Amino acid sequence: MSRRLPAAVAVALAAMASASAASCGGGTTSINLFSTNWSDDHGVSMENVRARLAGAKPAPGADVVVGVAGNADKIIGLPLGGGPKWTFAHPLDSRPLVAGTVVIGSGGGELFALDAVKGTKLWARPTGGLAAYGAGDDGGVTVISLSGASGRGSVLLAITHDGAVVRQIETDKSLGTPAVVSRLAFVPWSSQYVSAIDLSNGDEVGRVVLREKTSRAWTEGTSLYFGEVGIFRFDGHIKDASRGQATHVQLPVRELPGAPVLMQPGGERLAPIAGATDRIRLFARPSGTEPLTIEDDRFFATYFRIVMGFDAHRGNLSWVHLHDHDVVGGDAAKGSLVLCDELGKISILEAATGAVAGQLDLGEPIKSCTVQVETFAANNGVRGGTLAAQIAKSLESNEAQLATGNRFLLRELATLEDEAATKTLVDLAQSPRAAPPLVADARQALATRRNGARFMVEALQKHYDFLKDELRSPPVGPMAQALAAMKEKGAAPALADHLLDPADTDDDVKQAAAALVVLGGPAQVPQARHFFAMYRATAEGDDMIAALVSAGQVLLKYGGKDGRVIVDYALSDPRTIEAAKERLEVTLQQIELEQGSGGKPDKPEPAKPEPAKPNATKK
Amino acid sequence: MRRISVVFAVAMGLVAADAGAQGAKPKGKPVAGPVAPPFTLTPALQQKLKSADEAQVRAALDDLRLGGKAAQAAAPSVVELLERGTTASLTEAALDTLGDMEAESASEHIAVYTHHRDVAMRRAAVKALIKTKGAAAIKGLRHALSDADPMVRGVAATGLGTLKAKDAVPDLYVALDRKIAEAAAAIGQLCTGADCDQLSAKLGRLPFDVVTGGLDQILFRPTSEITDDDKVKVIGKLRELGTQEANKFLKDVQARWPKGGSARVRQSIDQAVLATAGGAQ
Repeated sequence: MSRRLPAAVAVALAAMASASAASCGGGTTSINLFSTNWSDDHGVSMENVRARLAGAKPAPGADVVVGVAGNADKIIGLPLGGGPKWTFAHPLDSRPLVAGTVVIGSGGGELFALDAVKGTKLWARPTGGLAAYGAGDDGGVTVISLSGASGRGSVLLAITHDGAVVRQIETDKSLGTPAVVSRLAFVPWSSQYVSAIDLSNGDEVGRVVLREKTSRAWTEGTSLYFGEVGIFRFDGHIKDASRGQATHVQLPVRELPGAPVLMQPGGERLAPIAGATDRIRLFARPSGTEPLTIEDDRFFATYFRIVMGFDAHRGNLSWVHLHDHDVVGGDAAKGSLVLCDELGKISILEAATGAVAGQLDLGEPIKSCTVQVETFAANNGVRGGTLAAQIAKSLESNEAQLATGNRFLLRELATLEDEAATKTLVDLAQSPRAAPPLVADARQALATRRNGARFMVEALQKHYDFLKDELRSPPVGPMAQALAAMKEKGAAPALADHLLDPADTDDDVKQAAAALVVLGGPAQVPQARHFFAMYRATAEGDDMIAALVSAGQVLLKYGGKDGRVIVDYALSDPRTIEAAKERLEVTLQQIELEQGSGGKPDKPEPAKPEPAKPNATKK
Repeated sequence: MRRISVVFAVAMGLVAADAGAQGAKPKGKPVAGPVAPPFTLTPALQQKLKSADEAQVRAALDDLRLGGKAAQAAAPSVVELLERGTTASLTEAALDTLGDMEAESASEHIAVYTHHRDVAMRRAAVKALIKTKGAAAIKGLRHALSDADPMVRGVAATGLGTLKAKDAVPDLYVALDRKIAEAAAAIGQLCTGADCDQLSAKLGRLPFDVVTGGLDQILFRPTSEITDDDKVKVIGKLRELGTQEANKFLKDVQARWPKGGSARVRQSIDQAVLATAGGAQ
């Protein structure tokens, strides 16, 4: 449905239209386009469109990286397949769009097109301040979505590469990013429809309703796609879209740091300067095969400097690449991921492994970038270690900005069977530079580990030491839990030493003592005895009382008769903590039950404290 | 001028008790030991130590403290009290008592309490170790240099000087670099030759009063331990500093220099005082 534009805009666009109409026979269309008084035709019209295209393939686009530099007034282009870098100076009020073989920019009151490979100016037209936010191209005609003058609605312009306006459509509907194939524009709108518009007469010749939020149409390889959340392919099943039976693929749903999205809404203008949503993004490419899948079975996520590759079927993390600088844009290619960072460096990562397969340079820092990859194929790179090692590298960065991403990676690390994962968790949990939430996560994860005992035992040798500047104790508690679960007897000496380390937390001491009940032996009795003596009458708090009880159990289990004497004395002394007494009594009863009536050992007579004398005086 | 910490002042006091080269008077006053009455370890006293009544135990410990060194025979009974475990206040009193009894045989048992989670116990333990002496005490004090509590570290450093733990000098230098000020005085009591030069070299890098706490000790040690050459070197370093605080310190040393002390060192001090007069602030 068309509507009126403000005078200035209308004059500018009319000038464009009249100039082109005179030469190319184009004109303004105001038909029953984008009407919501439309009944689902069950794919009949779109099937007709498909038949009309009769297998026509989209024209291949350029493989190019386009960056915005300077004060958002300079465009830098770099063809990926070779060819020289180009620059074009022009004010920009939105991020340049790459469509097919052209780059569309808007700013300074005009809309302009550049050859994507050479950077040469194809045409420029006044816009009255409207900003371009979406474009499609079929090698001859470029269709551009512009924001409405009042902030509502959209303007759709179809312009040939030599600057002739083929069609101009204004509507109060929010149009998405269009695609063009053989002079048929495919325009998503109202987040659910895609209308096919014949650019020769402006007629809407087909429409389909999609059962998932859709605001973008694009061509890739030899196929036409629609989508935003997921990806629909324009093929023989598109007619069944309203019944939810179109060919469709989407990324597995999983938790990711910063909740990135695959595509920004196609009806929104992107600022020339990249923001957080450009740094926290998903990348994936439809396979173009039958059935439709995600290319290379990989999707990718960025979180500032962290780049991650995932298995596209199950969503499992496959690799991690810690980039030198924030990633601000990119595109998934066949076999690789092409990324650009804020310093203008282009990195090509192997899709399967994340290995760096190539690097290019825009030559200067950039504000944002747009990458379009159609046929570019990367060389193989060299994988940077195991997944555990890759995660460790990121965790070691200790950057506040990466904290959320690193917490995510730490959770992933905890699921790996690799012993190196245990080592990383141990290192992180005692690193004085690590962020407190990461340390807490690492401790939690450590307790559940069931391998890497040697790293834990090694870490337990460390203690707080002011002189050596070791100001953080090792994660004794979680490691004690894990080592006890693994029945790692070799850890007992180190655990016993931690009973007497005042720098350990109460919880650490509790866990160490509990582990010693399982892992200890006679060699650990001296430390248990000292601990028991120090705290049997002074322990405060549940953790310390639990530790005291465990120390008593160690004495009973491994201390022989002497151990029993110590515990019996404590049970008879009124100064012993009552809560501990009760639990030790229970332990004793259990021991006696286990030993049975026939096997009961000689119970030594404890040296009971002398009873208090009524007239005792204090000197 | 920076203020010397309370701990440091205490340390100086403890150190001074063992100093006194050639009749010299290092800073601080000697600690006069109490005159111990004749002491007898009676069965009744031993019984009181084993009592379940806290007041009785405390009374027994008080008796033993009064007995001082003469009550050493009762040390095993006090150790037994610690080994069995008791309340916090009695534990602290037991540690103090063993210290007052100067029972070296108890050092090993006291040293265990330098690992106690209650900082008051650790402080009591290191103080007791300085009095009970011996290899176990030195080992415990060296360990306590790494304690999380500054007071424990400071007392431990002081104690190592007091106990003439020469092997601990490298640790004390690390401690000094880690801002354990008391280590300077301990180093001053223990260093020889190059070790002492290392302390002089800290002038200008560490607070003046911290370093001179150690240099003062060096200057007043007997010639049998520190040669006149080494003392003159220390004075030379202070003279090179040329500051008002150096002048003030040298004047103080000049005033305290013993009449029978080395004339050569005295002359060096006199010249240094003149040279630093009107020095920079």
